[in-house]
Amino acid sequence: MSTLSQTFANLAGRPGRTFLTALGTALGIATIVALLAVVGAVRHSAGELVNLGPSELGLFQADAADPTTSILSTGLIARLDRTPGIAGATPLSLLIGELPKEPGSIVFGAGPGGFLTGGLVYSSGRALRSGLEIVLGDTLARQLHLATGQSLTIGHRRLRVVGIYHNGIAYQDAGAFVPLATAQAITGRPGETTTIVVKLSPATHPATMRRTIAKDFPGITIISDAQQANRAGVSGQLISQFGLVIVVLALVIGGIGVANTMLMAVIERRSEFALLSAVGFSGPQIAGRVLVESTLTTIIGAAIGLLFGVIGAQLLVDVLGARTFVSPQVTAWDLGRGLLVGVLLGVLGGLYPAWRAAHVSPARVLAQQ
Amino acid sequence: MVKTNYGTVGAAVTVEHVSRAYGDAVVLDDVSFAVEPGELVALTGPSGSGKTTLLQIIGSLDRPTRGRVWVDGVSVGELARPAEFRRSAVGFVFQLHYLLSALTAQENVELPLVAAHVPRRERTERALALLEGVGLSGRARSRPSELSGGERQRVAIARALAGNPRLILADEPTGALDSTASQKVWELLSDACATRGATVIVASHDLTLVEHADRALNLFDGRMVPPPQKQPASEGIA
Repeated sequence: MSTLSQTFANLAGRPGRTFLTALGTALGIATIVALLAVVGAVRHSAGELVNLGPSELGLFQADAADPTTSILSTGLIARLDRTPGIAGATPLSLLIGELPKEPGSIVFGAGPGGFLTGGLVYSSGRALRSGLEIVLGDTLARQLHLATGQSLTIGHRRLRVVGIYHNGIAYQDAGAFVPLATAQAITGRPGETTTIVVKLSPATHPATMRRTIAKDFPGITIISDAQQANRAGVSGQLISQFGLVIVVLALVIGGIGVANTMLMAVIERRSEFALLSAVGFSGPQIAGRVLVESTLTTIIGAAIGLLFGVIGAQLLVDVLGARTFVSPQVTAWDLGRGLLVGVLLGVLGGLYPAWRAAHVSPARVLAQQ
Repeated sequence: MVKTNYGTVGAAVTVEHVSRAYGDAVVLDDVSFAVEPGELVALTGPSGSGKTTLLQIIGSLDRPTRGRVWVDGVSVGELARPAEFRRSAVGFVFQLHYLLSALTAQENVELPLVAAHVPRRERTERALALLEGVGLSGRARSRPSELSGGERQRVAIARALAGNPRLILADEPTGALDSTASQKVWELLSDACATRGATVIVASHDLTLVEHADRALNLFDGRMVPPPQKQPASEGIA
């Protein structure tokens, strides 16, 4: 009979308490895994909202809370076009939450002749030409049951669907494009855009151009990939911190929960610990048994929680109505973190109960019995 | 006996001017005696006379307010590692058996050996031999809930003997048993003295049990008083 086998015997001997403790841990771990998966996916998606090619830079307002809330003057485009090394600059407005039936879908406002819309491949209809037109991604078209020739109302404007496209970028296929002027009219911000995408000349090195733009266009943040997009906005940083806060909160709340349960168990089993002390178990030996028990309980809970978390991540995205552009990805690292949190919960939550168990006075307890 | 700084010469247990008070309540008051190796001593007295406290002090579960206790020349109150002392030198038997309900009889007997890090195979062999010794060889896999009161107490005695202790302290071991089971318990404790050479101190408020002991010590209100007269050996339980 090892400490581990006796611990298993103890846990099996009190199935109700073991189940509830493990369940509490499982729910905590499931929440962590689900939220981490969703946060990771949200960060990923936020960074990809402006899909940049290898020789393209995205310009955003420097102090914007999030890249999607950036506001730039379209007047900058002419100046950028004149800058040596820049092959072209085109505005891109982001309209988020403008489609009531699909609030997660994004409507992009782009110049009809710009290089951003030039990459769209139409499975039916044609490209944008005039103001009251819209082209839909094939995913959105399916979701809204719309086809070329039908109409869609956005911001009290009735727009005619003139084309259905597919370009392989999930959030663009789940979104739509309208002319920039239409987007500006919908937002009530004529002459403004969310971002300006700059295409570099073949011989221009992106790092050199970044320095040039930073010097000549103060107040602008330049990004060249998705990760930079995340770092560029306060929201991106907040999302990054969010995961950490969740883990810390789970540790604190879960730790208190486990500590409370284990403390109750120690009080309930004072005579057992007194007996162990009487037959020669030292304080550290008794404390170790309590710690092993609490850790084992939370590991069992964590294992269940990881399973719940994977399922819960998808459910969470569905509940948030964000499945069109957020695809939760539970990585091995997320699972590892969940398990690590489980072990930490067991150890941290078991520390004080273990100390109490190690200090049970056998003389007092056995005499009271 | 000759008293020294290490207890009484030749004594297994020396209790010297031991007092124990909890606040104003004096439980033991200047108690002194010595017990020879292999002796079976009955510690008698009514409930509340201080028997349990005295056994706990001898077994290092408690410390005296005043006075000293030596077990085989070791000053119990000054032990740096009392748990080590308990696992190697002392075996406890309580009125309530204190068997762990989640464990089998064999696993309960193994507990002091687990504390002493005895290898698994040796633990199993010793536990099974001890259970056989107390007449429970067929109940090794039984849990406490599946045993009678007398059987549980016999498992507790086997557990007390597991570490081969020089001293066995039994606190009202027959208090919750019927006469048949009580007789068996006394036989086992007597056997521990006779065959293992262990010193046994048994606390009991039942004066009729004094006849099983080599000697009786009597406590009353925390003080040693003259023991009840021992019955003729022919009237005792064999």
